[in-house]
Amino acid sequence: METLQYALRKFIYSIPLLFGVTLIAFTLMVYFGPDQTYQFLSKNPTPEEIERVRSELGYDQAFAVRYVQYLGDLATLNLGNSNSSGERVTQILVKHIPVSVALALPGFILSVVLGVSIALIAAFYRGTWVDKGIMVFAVVGMSISFLIVVIAFQIIFCSFYGLNWFPVQGWDVDSVGSYLSHVTVPTMAIVFVALGYNTRFYRAVIVEEMNRDYVRTARAFGASPVKLLFKHVLKNAMIPIITRVIITLPFIVIGGNIIIEKYFSIPGIGQVTLEAIISGDLPIVKAVVALTAVLYVFALILTDISYKMIDPRVSYK
Amino acid sequence: MDREPEIQNKEPDSAPVEPRAKRDSLWKKAFRKFFRDKFGIASLVVVGIYFLIAVGVWLDVIGTNWSATTDASFAPPSSEHWFGTNINGQDIRDRALYGTRVAFEVGLVVALLATTIGGVLGCIAGYFNRTIIDEVIMWLYGCLDSIPFYLFVAAVAFVLQGNPYAMHIAMICTFWSSTCRIVRGEVIKIRNLEYVEAARAVGVKPLTIVFKHVFPNTLHILLVQATITFVGAIKSEVILSFLGLGVKNSVSWGIMLSEASSEVSGGIFYNFYTASIFLFILVIAFNIFADSLQDALDPKKVSV
Amino acid sequence: MSETTKPLLSVRELAIEFKTETGVARAVDHISFDLAEGETVGIVGESGCGKSVTALSILRLIPSPPGRIAHGQILFEGNDLASNSEREMRKIRGNQISMIFQEPMTALNPVYTIGSQLTDVLRLHKKLKQKEAREEAVHMLETVDIESPEKRLDEYPHQLSGGMRQRVMIAMALSCNPRLLIADEPTTALDVTVQAQVMEEINKLQKQFQMGVILITHDLGVIAESCQKVIVMYCGKIVEIAPTNELFRNPQHPYTKGLLHSIPRIRKEKIDRLPTIPGTVPDIQNLPKGCRFADRCPKASDQCHEQYPELTHQDTRSVACYHPG
Repeated sequence: METLQYALRKFIYSIPLLFGVTLIAFTLMVYFGPDQTYQFLSKNPTPEEIERVRSELGYDQAFAVRYVQYLGDLATLNLGNSNSSGERVTQILVKHIPVSVALALPGFILSVVLGVSIALIAAFYRGTWVDKGIMVFAVVGMSISFLIVVIAFQIIFCSFYGLNWFPVQGWDVDSVGSYLSHVTVPTMAIVFVALGYNTRFYRAVIVEEMNRDYVRTARAFGASPVKLLFKHVLKNAMIPIITRVIITLPFIVIGGNIIIEKYFSIPGIGQVTLEAIISGDLPIVKAVVALTAVLYVFALILTDISYKMIDPRVSYK
Repeated sequence: MDREPEIQNKEPDSAPVEPRAKRDSLWKKAFRKFFRDKFGIASLVVVGIYFLIAVGVWLDVIGTNWSATTDASFAPPSSEHWFGTNINGQDIRDRALYGTRVAFEVGLVVALLATTIGGVLGCIAGYFNRTIIDEVIMWLYGCLDSIPFYLFVAAVAFVLQGNPYAMHIAMICTFWSSTCRIVRGEVIKIRNLEYVEAARAVGVKPLTIVFKHVFPNTLHILLVQATITFVGAIKSEVILSFLGLGVKNSVSWGIMLSEASSEVSGGIFYNFYTASIFLFILVIAFNIFADSLQDALDPKKVSV
Repeated sequence: MSETTKPLLSVRELAIEFKTETGVARAVDHISFDLAEGETVGIVGESGCGKSVTALSILRLIPSPPGRIAHGQILFEGNDLASNSEREMRKIRGNQISMIFQEPMTALNPVYTIGSQLTDVLRLHKKLKQKEAREEAVHMLETVDIESPEKRLDEYPHQLSGGMRQRVMIAMALSCNPRLLIADEPTTALDVTVQAQVMEEINKLQKQFQMGVILITHDLGVIAESCQKVIVMYCGKIVEIAPTNELFRNPQHPYTKGLLHSIPRIRKEKIDRLPTIPGTVPDIQNLPKGCRFADRCPKASDQCHEQYPELTHQDTRSVACYHPG
């Protein structure tokens, strides 16, 4: 109950953020965006027809009025239809978001789990060659462009010049077998790219915790290195780790992994949105932006609640 | 002497926030420390070589042949075309050299402007901590942080259709936020220090305090952030070029890699190898340089 | 009390070095001292004189790298701690030798309850079951005069005051009946009124548990009340060892004199300013050849600048000075 109240209060505090994000997006895409009048008109339209379409699109209204209308549409979940396909936007979201999540989530989870594990090993053997070796690999890993990794993995795993174990394109979204064969290589690429950054970040967090006074106290009372790491260090280190994980989640749901989706021609929401931006399909863009902002705010609230669960010093006041 | 500093803390652990008189010695110390760091120097040399290449391209001394089409498409490496040619028969070596210039343009422009904006706004937000100014700045970067980066760039590119700097602008708009956040945190610490309080007590104007007394003490952060932003910009350029949002009417390593992405399944790797190696070596050199710089400037840092 | 022929702790020629950017710093330079069973010894000196490093080195808690024990022995009941393995040390820490730290604010883990941290120690060293450990923990909190201990066990460190936290630390330190307690500036971070209470607690329990205590402090007042013997350190060296009464009545080393003079106290005649020791502590990486105090010493002679005066013993006292008294 207390938690719920807290979440609600947090939500109210984050309303400016929601306004901000939608305002930025609205200004960029709608105000500075293209004039779409002629997309909806036949050749040689009459001035009346032009007038009618313009008023349908809201072009005859003031900026503020249009923005408020947009917010109203969002609040009532009246997201409209795609300009290009005519499909309902909600339908599009429902269809493409799960694809993005299915594609990006395994790699994300693996990269966090592996990142934390390797970081723990590095921190445990701090200063030794094990630690140094891991950190060298991390720097090398984070210096390789995602695109290079994807291309290299395609050569290694999906071509005649390498092992040729997996197909490149043609994921049948409805088939489980197809899922496994098409998601494996992207997952490996995602893990490979994220691992360098993750390991460094998590190691820094863990090492910082290891230098705390209470870790020295525990050591002075005979705690073993394993106990120090898993009882005293890890729980305290969870706060930055969880923050990083939760804050990334909305981007997985909504952004998916645009590079992977484009490269392997996977119909995820990232690619759909990108195309919508490039082609000026505003209803989709508006919906996606709003959804991102809401998810982001939820993620922020979730991190705050998880702080409270980990650290008794955090209060809901 | 109510708290005894242990000998292992004998490092000036408050060095980054010490008053002016001691600041010079911080830089001198950092300088000395950096030049004892073998990896730091090696990485600086590598970055220097790349920079010379970029300058050479600017001066039209090298990489002049990047757009000319010879007749042979996908010609293998030869004495004439060291790394072969691409589908249009353009010389890959010269394209890679030209790409160095583009990489430096993107990196320098974005790093310089983004860290400056981040630094200035961070100082202001930090100094006016808990006022409306701080709230507005935090709100601004909060909003930018919650929009997926590539979608934001796409939107800016779309708005600024045809503008060759659309990508740069989009990156600057988003990359300043991390610098701002860090600087703000540091300034909140600095503003409670005695010399700042002293300046306030004798009636120095707030903005004078910010830019004369506070800002200079964040320069070491800005330097490190600039190198990190530089790397981020170069890496983002590659992805954006692949997504069709990158540089226009020019060539970059990103464009070479996008070309490569459709060539590798046909067994043609010239673009891939060349661009990858050019990109990888510069990025890793910059990453190592940033690390060494950070080590030299911040004795508190716990990392490699 | 047992005969003091065989000391509880005997530090022999201990040297501790730290690697720094600019070379090796010898924080503690060949020091020797003994501690009898049930005895309380104070180590005083200014910041950076090596007293805390000495304390940490007994439990082998010096961060390494950069620190290391470069030379010497730390004999605890005849067992050389300096050459023990880490595994052997773990059995001793918190069990036979305990330590309490300066900062009660940060020395306890903020995300675990007092009970969890207390019972951990009991379960580890006394091999108690959780339930027994909890009962014992309650008993220990009672011993250090914490009210409603049952309730306190389920509280987190931040819910307790500084003085309470330090009491919890003491309870934790004494829970396995250690033979030796090392208290590193146990009262420095506390309010003055609380300081006295905590010191009283330590003194009371020292008698009750019959343990040796090493009290690290820069506060000579604390020493006067609690210690039988005082060790004065300067720049990594011991300059004087003496029974507390004698040290206060008749300090031999000029540095000790300086320290005693600089204590604020009620004096007969009004003085303009509190006497201080002139000059500054030399850089530990750039020490003078002779006596480290020579540059600040009113009595310094050529000999003092040339050669370091070794610690010489006479009766119960030792002093490292060519011109004592």
